[in-house]
Amino acid sequence: MPEIEVLLRVARSLTRNDADAEDLVQDTLIRAYKAIDRFDGRHPRAWLLTILRNTHINRNRRRRPELLRDPGGATRHMDEVVSDEVTDASVEASFDAEIEKALGELDEPFRRVIELVDVDGLSYAEAAEVLNVPTGTVMSRLHRGRGRIRDRLDRAGLAPRSH
Amino acid sequence: MKSLFARFRRTSADSPMSCHQVGELLQHYLDCELDASRSLRLSAHLEDCRRCGLEAETYERIKLSLAQQRPEVAPDSLARLREFGTRLARGEEPLDP
Repeated sequence: MPEIEVLLRVARSLTRNDADAEDLVQDTLIRAYKAIDRFDGRHPRAWLLTILRNTHINRNRRRRPELLRDPGGATRHMDEVVSDEVTDASVEASFDAEIEKALGELDEPFRRVIELVDVDGLSYAEAAEVLNVPTGTVMSRLHRGRGRIRDRLDRAGLAPRSH
Repeated sequence: MKSLFARFRRTSADSPMSCHQVGELLQHYLDCELDASRSLRLSAHLEDCRRCGLEAETYERIKLSLAQQRPEVAPDSLARLREFGTRLARGEEPLDP
């Protein structure tokens, strides 16, 4: 099943964790086989991505109370973010490093779309399925997000200039 | 009248794109989400217009850089999931975990 690699990649983007991503894809495959009778045979990748998204949402709903009981989870995440920023500050400015930083600083909706389309290689329609938003929303977030990255490159003097 | 309309459509489809049109469609072009006819016209504009060409180059480099950030999927996870998928298809896995 060639879709498993795409599913795992997108799951990794959604969960940011290898073990959670594997669990999420496993649950997705089980749900897909349960629902196989209702699948019309067209666009299997989009169908599986929709199941992946719904499974991810359901898993998060179940997890939320655990997070509330474990406030350290949120603190740990914040520590990681701060630690990354400190590391980034010491990295020599370069095109790729600047883009990575710019991506990390984007607001969540813009970053998610860019990760799905540019990093994971999904089409607009597939990203829309995963995020459960209209394709037009994917396009506008993508364009605005990339525009912000481009602005940052401009400010850093790394964007090509015509004059 | 019909031939006039057909002529107008052909002219519109073959006419060069303006910088404004390229600005509107550039992202779709770079994402391969543009139809072949408009892709060709846009591509021709990029050949001729230095400003738009540089803009396209910037966004191409951004896309390439982002694609390079693509993390390798964990090979062990992938192998386990493929095996799991095969067992599911054979009915060897319970559907209620």
